[in-house]
Amino acid sequence: MISIPVLLLLIFAAGLLAFIAHHTIPVLRDAIVIIAITIAGYIVWQLPGQTSNVNFSIGMFAINWGVTEYSQLFGLLIAVLSFFALIYSSAFMANKERLGYFYMNFMFSIGAMFGIVYSQDLISLFFFWEIMTWSSFMLTIYCCEEAQSVGLKYFIFSAIGAYSILTAIVIIYSGLGSLQLANIFANFGTMSIAAKLAVVILLITGFGVKSAMMPLHVWAPDAYKMSPAPYTAIFSGALSKMGIFGIGLVLFKLAAGQGFYPYVQEILAWIGALTALFSTFYAIFQTDAKKLLAYSSIGQLGYIITGLAIGTPLSITAALFLTIMHGIFKSMLFLSVGAVYYRTGTTNMNEVSGLIRKMPYTFFTALFGIITVAGIPPLGGFAGKWMLYESLIQSNHYFLVIVIFFASTAAFLYLYRFIFSMFLGQEEKETENVKEAPLRMIVPMLILAVSTLVFGVFPGLLLKPISGAMGYLGNFQHAWETSVLFNNWGSEIDLNTIVTSIGGVFIIAWILITVKGYRKNRYVTTKDIHTSGEVPTGNENLTYAIDFYKPFERALGSVLKPSVDKLYNYTGKLLEDSFEHLRYVYTGNGQTYAMYVMGFLLILFLFSELIFGVAL
Amino acid sequence: MDINWLKVLGIIITPIIAFIVGVAYGGIVRNITARVQNRFGPPVVQNFWDIIKLYSKKTTVSHGWMHHLAPVFAITASVTTLYFIPVLRDSKLFANLSFSGDLIFLLYIMVFGSLGMALGVGQSGNPNAAIGVSRGLSMMVGYEIPFVLALVAIMIQFHTTSLNDLLAVQDKFTNWIIFQSPIAFIAAILAFLGMMGYAPFDVVIAPAEIASGPPSEFGGKYLGLMQTSRSIFTFAKLVLFTDIFLGGAGDFGTLIVKTFLLYMIPVLTGIVNPRFRTEQAIRFFWKWPTVFGVIAILAVVMKG
Amino acid sequence: MNFSPVHFIAVPLFAAFLIPIVGRFSKEAVKLIPGLVLLYLSYVAISLYPIALQKPIVEIIAGFKPPFGISLYFGPLAAFLVTMVMLIGLVIWLYSYKFIIREPLEKYYMLFMLVIAGATGIMITGDIFNMFVFLEITSIAAYSLTAFLRDKDGAEAAFKYLLIGSFSSTFYLLAVMLIYANTGTLNIADIAAKMQTVPNQPKIFIMILFLVGFGIESELFPLNGWAPDAYSQAPSPIGGVFGGIVVKASTYAMMRFAFVLFNFHSMFELILVLGVITMLIAEMSAMRQQQIKRMLAFSSIGQMGLIMIAFGVGTDASVRAALFQVFNHAVIKTLLFLAAGYLVFHSGSKKISALDGLGHNKPITSFFFALGALAIIGLPPFSGFWSKLYILTSVAKGGFLASVVLILFSGIIEAIYYLRVVGRLYFKKDVSQDNVRRTPISGLVAMGILAVVILYVGLYPHQIIDLIKPAAHDLVDKAAYIKYGLLH
Repeated sequence: MISIPVLLLLIFAAGLLAFIAHHTIPVLRDAIVIIAITIAGYIVWQLPGQTSNVNFSIGMFAINWGVTEYSQLFGLLIAVLSFFALIYSSAFMANKERLGYFYMNFMFSIGAMFGIVYSQDLISLFFFWEIMTWSSFMLTIYCCEEAQSVGLKYFIFSAIGAYSILTAIVIIYSGLGSLQLANIFANFGTMSIAAKLAVVILLITGFGVKSAMMPLHVWAPDAYKMSPAPYTAIFSGALSKMGIFGIGLVLFKLAAGQGFYPYVQEILAWIGALTALFSTFYAIFQTDAKKLLAYSSIGQLGYIITGLAIGTPLSITAALFLTIMHGIFKSMLFLSVGAVYYRTGTTNMNEVSGLIRKMPYTFFTALFGIITVAGIPPLGGFAGKWMLYESLIQSNHYFLVIVIFFASTAAFLYLYRFIFSMFLGQEEKETENVKEAPLRMIVPMLILAVSTLVFGVFPGLLLKPISGAMGYLGNFQHAWETSVLFNNWGSEIDLNTIVTSIGGVFIIAWILITVKGYRKNRYVTTKDIHTSGEVPTGNENLTYAIDFYKPFERALGSVLKPSVDKLYNYTGKLLEDSFEHLRYVYTGNGQTYAMYVMGFLLILFLFSELIFGVAL
Repeated sequence: MDINWLKVLGIIITPIIAFIVGVAYGGIVRNITARVQNRFGPPVVQNFWDIIKLYSKKTTVSHGWMHHLAPVFAITASVTTLYFIPVLRDSKLFANLSFSGDLIFLLYIMVFGSLGMALGVGQSGNPNAAIGVSRGLSMMVGYEIPFVLALVAIMIQFHTTSLNDLLAVQDKFTNWIIFQSPIAFIAAILAFLGMMGYAPFDVVIAPAEIASGPPSEFGGKYLGLMQTSRSIFTFAKLVLFTDIFLGGAGDFGTLIVKTFLLYMIPVLTGIVNPRFRTEQAIRFFWKWPTVFGVIAILAVVMKG
Repeated sequence: MNFSPVHFIAVPLFAAFLIPIVGRFSKEAVKLIPGLVLLYLSYVAISLYPIALQKPIVEIIAGFKPPFGISLYFGPLAAFLVTMVMLIGLVIWLYSYKFIIREPLEKYYMLFMLVIAGATGIMITGDIFNMFVFLEITSIAAYSLTAFLRDKDGAEAAFKYLLIGSFSSTFYLLAVMLIYANTGTLNIADIAAKMQTVPNQPKIFIMILFLVGFGIESELFPLNGWAPDAYSQAPSPIGGVFGGIVVKASTYAMMRFAFVLFNFHSMFELILVLGVITMLIAEMSAMRQQQIKRMLAFSSIGQMGLIMIAFGVGTDASVRAALFQVFNHAVIKTLLFLAAGYLVFHSGSKKISALDGLGHNKPITSFFFALGALAIIGLPPFSGFWSKLYILTSVAKGGFLASVVLILFSGIIEAIYYLRVVGRLYFKKDVSQDNVRRTPISGLVAMGILAVVILYVGLYPHQIIDLIKPAAHDLVDKAAYIKYGLLH
């Protein structure tokens, strides 16, 4: 039996070894990390067979690691995504600089995530949380000089988040005297109401930062943009889920049953929904593909948060299902953007177009990705979206469902923009020599893409572990079958029928249209188009990409004008300015300092009654 | 495994009926439009000839495999939508696959076609087509809001998301949902105007501006398949609205009457209206239709 | 061999006396002597440690039994601190070996030895007047070291230090006189026993004098005006000496007196409040500094504020946390000053903006700096994480939640300014021209040792905590101090 310490040791050691190998035998570097993550995947897989937790103590804190069905769900997600991302990066990162640094931090953040999900006490959770923070920070700033301020912003927000968590931890510790999750969950009710509320708010804030909950999201778009593509896949696919992981624990293991729980739920659900809505709006007007996906990511996490906050069995199922699906499809999308970047050197959607024939597999991945994000059947996104809507309606959150629906309809806009700008549209001269990405990048992407179809047809494959996780969270049960979904009002969706019908019609129509006049089909270039009589010359720019959604922008009007980001920047500047004034307390003049000393002494003498209770 | 032959038969003939009715409606609409504009339209069967002609074209121009697949996406969406709508009330033959006729599923499958179309259109590289898609998607965000508001109002009023259950509720004339929740109907029918794409919401294809936009690069069999899909889809949407608001139909006669009357609403509105710009259209949907939708929900919530 | 705590004072003092004489014959010997002394004393400290853990070693000097004669009190706390001082001193010596090339070498090492002698003296003496002497030795050596580079700024900084430092000595001496007048004894343990009989008014008066006197040396706001200048003008290793040794000695004295002589609840609260203010103002000022060593100086003050907060809570757990932070700060800040020393040396400017891209040119030194920065911010798996965690939990348990929030707030500020520097090191274009000069191996080894300690303590914090537990108990347990100190 192999257990958690071995897993953590393996990953962290692999990180260090990769660093050393890079500086000595570069060939081994990629092999080390891939072998390590493969073994790690196996270890994670067989972990539920472990019954005993790992206990030891550091100083006065008892450390406890163990597996729950809830953590196993996230553990598997991390393992699978990391595996694909690392294979991908062995090709993507080839010939890049400072790969030792890259892989070391990559492995550390994977290890830290494993640590987080398998921690059964708050100290080790926080410990790994911080390792995750700095290793992801290191990778955010890895690329270039411009990433500096981005990284700093990420770090500041992470620090705010981490310290919120830390404050909550110390409140819990001073109240309960124990940091074991099991004890905390059991005895949380005995704390004072103010302490409980403070803990819940602080923890949600802390975890909310990582899951880019508005208004704590401002770091995410830039940080996602700056980190190298394979890591962005992990960043958005797995790392942001750590926030979700935490919020789930807070909601169902701590807050549930307290007097304020309904309010927390309601507020959080609305925060999630508004996050989804506004980030979708922002995503629509991005010109950088990675930033677009980043905002999309924020939005999807918003759905998940709403789903968790509603707290009915169906909504939690939906949220956890979306969590896994989001991990998969957002990784796919980031990886496909990475492939485009690998070949064209840009992620700016106004600069590349018409790659579909050059990079068909990448296009295919992106296509499956956007269909999944959009929640269109028969791919995996649909099951999650369906359950989410049904649960919202059936738990009387009528306006919430409207907001969510608004967001996911508007999502079509950016999704189309994303795939259109990069893969469709005019084929330009600049991209003439672009080739498909190498095999090691294509294969992981395609496997993930196919998995969305599998989970779309057989959501039960995911619902099984999810129902286990829900059992851990609080005995939530929701009926499920391998490919039938149920709602609370007795309706059901049989995905087999749906998929058969869609697939059947699709294939029949496909055959018909392909067979009909097959030999007479004539392929023409994208310059050979209907332009109302004017014949475009070779160098005429026919690409429609800039301000793609201008009319929509006009329709929205000034909704998007106010920016939290600017507010933060302003606050930051204000603080720094005040620090600037404050530092002149230190005048650099010895006499002033002497006066401070005498003044202080005088104050102590004069007010000694006030301070010490004894007059002099 | 025993095969329900009645179901199979229904699966085969429903699209055909939908196609015929849809195309016929198209022909009639052309005539009505012509009469209103004080001219004589083409024969009613003209649309059939058009489609047949398109199918019989020998050569077609393709821009690549996504372009090739676009009409396939479109027809898949329309036919599947139709399959999951009970065409006739209590009919074994025309119930198709609408085991519960889930509304949320329908909302999503209806988008499937547009997305596929948009992708195919995208590959053609025609800027006008892309502009059309941009407008179409933007407008969709506009009209989906009141539509969903109306649907949610109805769902919570009758405590179901299933179309079959809704049909069961409307067992007699006075129980039609149009009478039970008129405000929701107003919101939905305004959204319906946008969905059908007649003026004033025809900015997507706007022939005079962007040369018919999205379909402009399709010809021959592609255009033929797209027209087929459009006809089926129109019929499917009409049946859907009839099922939701007008109590469905027990036989084809009633169905034709109801759907035709329903169809006349966007058509007649279209004939007498100029065109909205995209943002005007979106703003239109976000104003009164949305307000009606919200009122509809509030009304249900107030009632208990 | 029979070791005695007296060695800690006598050997470095003797070495300080010897160094100028030896300097006439061999410069190399001058450099070597302090190393040998520190190595020997480290050995002594480590071998005395287990004995001190069992029972404090009380050494009587000149035959008079306490409370009449001068005695040394080498308990678990002193053992902990002295060992720390010796090891830090050893590392700083190793670093200085190649770093200090400017004459007069003898003076540098002589003063260095005096600081070691003075600081350890403060930590182990059991006599209040004796402590004054050591305080003076330390201070005067420190003033001179500040001005060691003999430039204008250094002289000015030293003068400020001297000015403020003389206040400290005066107040302390005044307090000693008052204590003697009231209790008739100079032995700390004896005073502690007799302090109950002293009326409140003089007691408070004495306490204020002590507070201000030690507050100056412990860098409490608003008494710390001397510190930024002194830190930044002294040679870089001396920054480590100040932060890791001098300040820690006077903090020790302040705490010893606070726990043993007075036990005023309000005094601890005042220390806590002052700690918070010190920390906040220092961190905010640090954020806006243009010079790296000034930044480190302010950061150092901020850390002292943090330590004071933990002491101010006054519980057993918080004292442990404070001692842990004392240790970590000594190690980490020394590493930062040492690394900064070479960074400044290579970039040729004290300005932070001159450090751009040095990470590529001087990767190892920059790496050590980055490691120190991450550690002092309190990120795991480095040692700073644990002590901060202990401080926070103990402060929260004491019921000072507002302080917890403020500590974390200043932690964020700290993170910002450290990461800015680290970011400059690694992610800016290389502007330095210094491709010729290398960081000498002795410097790298010195920094490497500290880095390893940081990482080791970060991964196995319980090892150091096992040492801190008795030390904290030694500080808090007044009765035991009196009992052992008076040889009962």
